[in-house]
Amino acid sequence: MAKQELQVQKEKEDGRRERWLLPTSTIQETEDGKIRLRLEMPGVSSDRLEIEVENRELRITGRREAQPPEGDYLLRERRDGSFFRAFTLDDTIDPEKIEAAMEAGVLTVTLHRKESEKPRKIAVTSG
Amino acid sequence: MALVRWRDRELEPVDTFHWLQEQINDLFADFPRWPTTRGLFERTISPAVDVIEGPDRYTVECELPGMDQKDIDVSIAGGVLTVKGEKKGQQESKGGKVYRKESWEGSFQRTLSLPQNVDSGKVEASYKHGVLQIVLPKSESARAKRIPLKTKALKSS
Repeated sequence: MAKQELQVQKEKEDGRRERWLLPTSTIQETEDGKIRLRLEMPGVSSDRLEIEVENRELRITGRREAQPPEGDYLLRERRDGSFFRAFTLDDTIDPEKIEAAMEAGVLTVTLHRKESEKPRKIAVTSG
Repeated sequence: MALVRWRDRELEPVDTFHWLQEQINDLFADFPRWPTTRGLFERTISPAVDVIEGPDRYTVECELPGMDQKDIDVSIAGGVLTVKGEKKGQQESKGGKVYRKESWEGSFQRTLSLPQNVDSGKVEASYKHGVLQIVLPKSESARAKRIPLKTKALKSS
């Protein structure tokens, strides 16, 4: 529900109704405990990308350059609109340490675990 | 801080209900949005394609996010345009855990029959921001020509 509310809010902010698409995402944890989000946003360049973190919510907006087609569509399968997706961050994620990289229409966001949440070994001393 | 008995969060019954409620709330959230790939009925994967006919050219746009330019193969033979390649998944997935996977990977192929009036010698393809664009100019003879109207000066009678 929160996602839809956000969407409505976004539409109000922008003053006009934009069509929002959900980028296909892959969420995975790497061996060293980082969380990696991979969002496919074909047609979005890095300068038209917005990544915000607020109240443990990671919001990603990617807009495509709206250019009217030079002619008529003979076949139309690509969906029109901008990309938006929000993720709720777990307590174990450090919101200050988020890295993002955009390449070939794919956004990779790397989230780090808080130092305090990392597993560590406690040595047992024998007395 | 008091020491309490450790319990697995996933086994917490209250959390389970909370999770269930969230899942139900989000059940239809993704519903009106379809994936960007086509071919669900054929059980094969193929990227979404747009074909636009302009006055002097056709433009084919194909969504292929996250690909290497060298992995895309565009060819024209016998009036058929073929786009094929292999979309690779992320290399780092080995050893780690995958929590959610919506994107597809693997080899794909799309073929489009071209109209007769395409000048196949002048086709250009480019890959930018995960979108493959192929520009197919129309042959000179097929372009709509504007015929200027000559106005004849009427003789004043």
